[in-house]
Amino acid sequence: MDIAIETKGLSKTYFRRKRGKGFWGGLRSYLSPTSDAVPAVTELDLVIRRGESVGLIGENGAGKSTTVKMLTGILVPTSGTLATLGFNPWKERRKLALNMGVVFGQKPQLLWDIPARESFKLLKAMYAISEDVYRFTFGEAVERLELGEFLDTPVRLLSLGQRMRCDLAAALLHAPAVAFLDEPTIGLDVLVKERVREHLIEMRKRFGTTVVLTTHDLKDISATCERLVVLDKGRLLYDGSLDGFERRFAEERTLFADLEADPPSQARHALEADLVRDGATPTWETERRLRVECPRRGTAPRVTSAVLKHLAVRDLEVESVGIDAIVARLYRNPGANGARP
Amino acid sequence: MTPTVAVRLPASLRVSTFAQRATCFVVLAEKTARTRLTYRLSTVLALLASGLAYSVILLVWLRVYHENPKPGPLPLAKLLAYLVTAFVTSEVLTLSVDWRVLQRVRMGLIATDVIRPLGFVTFQMAQAVGDLLVNALFALPIFAVGLHFVGGGLLPPDLASAALGLVSGALAFFVSFGLTFLIVQAIFILHSGYGVVTAKMALHQVFSGLSAPLVLFPESLRNVAVWLPFRHVIETPVTVWLGHADRASVPRLLAAQAAWGAALIAGGALIFNAVLKKHQVQGG
Repeated sequence: MDIAIETKGLSKTYFRRKRGKGFWGGLRSYLSPTSDAVPAVTELDLVIRRGESVGLIGENGAGKSTTVKMLTGILVPTSGTLATLGFNPWKERRKLALNMGVVFGQKPQLLWDIPARESFKLLKAMYAISEDVYRFTFGEAVERLELGEFLDTPVRLLSLGQRMRCDLAAALLHAPAVAFLDEPTIGLDVLVKERVREHLIEMRKRFGTTVVLTTHDLKDISATCERLVVLDKGRLLYDGSLDGFERRFAEERTLFADLEADPPSQARHALEADLVRDGATPTWETERRLRVECPRRGTAPRVTSAVLKHLAVRDLEVESVGIDAIVARLYRNPGANGARP
Repeated sequence: MTPTVAVRLPASLRVSTFAQRATCFVVLAEKTARTRLTYRLSTVLALLASGLAYSVILLVWLRVYHENPKPGPLPLAKLLAYLVTAFVTSEVLTLSVDWRVLQRVRMGLIATDVIRPLGFVTFQMAQAVGDLLVNALFALPIFAVGLHFVGGGLLPPDLASAALGLVSGALAFFVSFGLTFLIVQAIFILHSGYGVVTAKMALHQVFSGLSAPLVLFPESLRNVAVWLPFRHVIETPVTVWLGHADRASVPRLLAAQAAWGAALIAGGALIFNAVLKKHQVQGG
């Protein structure tokens, strides 16, 4: 079985009860309830192969969590078909659960009132984890996520970061065939995030786990995923490689040149004319620092040559637009660069 | 350092055997019991409050019998034995499944429970067994105090009653679980459930025979109570244990308990499957 996840025309519509304003509005809604249909996911087609690691991103309310809940069998789709590891998630929930690991960043799965170590023992029994697999996955989690010092503390007394680390360890304890990680780094500090990412990479390397990761932190995705799926208002906005995403949505480069001395005005004018001819936009940030926006792929080398030809350069730097900036731009304007498929 | 053992991975997808599920059931029951023991002061307070409530019920009945010495359908000694045994049974069989699920549905945490490899019904039942273990522990002081005041009347008259009483007690667990599991479905449908949980508690208090044996009910109410499942949680096991039930009727009572238990659990499971299709897990 090469395909881990496949959806065709997957849709989910929620029905939200309308609430009237104020006391009388509330009473009216109570006596005569009405509801609105809110589409959360619309006609989603997706194929994820075994062993792939896919980052699922989108604004709040884009349909990421709803998609994950349908793929895991928590929610039943309104229409469309889907299979996770060949199972119908909501009809074969138990069979799928044995082979799947899930982290919901805001929904801890560990038993709240007892130490995490006890929950791990329960999960060992629940997933029938063999002794050697358990010894490895538990040992790996304790070491890499540094769980040792709080394993015997009741979960309710753990900090958010400690709890999230335990939750991730719990989700991967049985070396699942597929792992759904819904905002696993939410609210964590930089160091803890780094540990979580390292653990995820290591577990994937060892077990070939298929990973679906939803997050608002794009560093999670660039560190652990090779493929990106962007949702917007429940629809697929982009599905492809991370490199392809940057190529498609961030052609522009910005060049910064620091000069040895104030440039002669003749050289400045000649350079500016060359740059404008190439479609670039020069801006003098100071007398000795030039910023050039290169709007299209391929213009940066010509711009660099022109700058070096006309000016005495002390230092040169070319910046591409970061994935964070591209995504922010896409959220603001989903139609940018022909994003809609 | 991470152990460098050669890890054998499952070549294909995992499937669980009955033995593995049974082991998981036992471990989950044990962990639930462990969880229940976390809040010592709260548990002791609940026990004291129950003790107080039971004492008030006993005092009211003593006063009633004192002022009406003419023997009714149940002599005082038998009534006291019945009530104390009913209190102990209630303490043991009052399960927290509905309260636990209520809290988890409201917080959206139920999402993680429905995708457990144990299955939702079995998962909840294992937790109910965990409740039962802790409840039994806390029912011991009530039994001891009752034994001190009521004496040997709390014990079954013969071995057959003891054995049948234990069977009836086990069946009563399934009826109690079935009732709470049905309430769980209402919680799923309503997204809240304080109303139904409270309603169930009130109905249980009246129709289970906890505060008064059904034999003392007005006939019209008794006729209602015998057709409801609540009596099979308290009245049936208590009367079978104490030998108050007519021996010839015991097989029928046990069969009724088994039927109610099976119907409630199966009905709850069917509703669960239907309800979950429409359930909207709260939160992102």
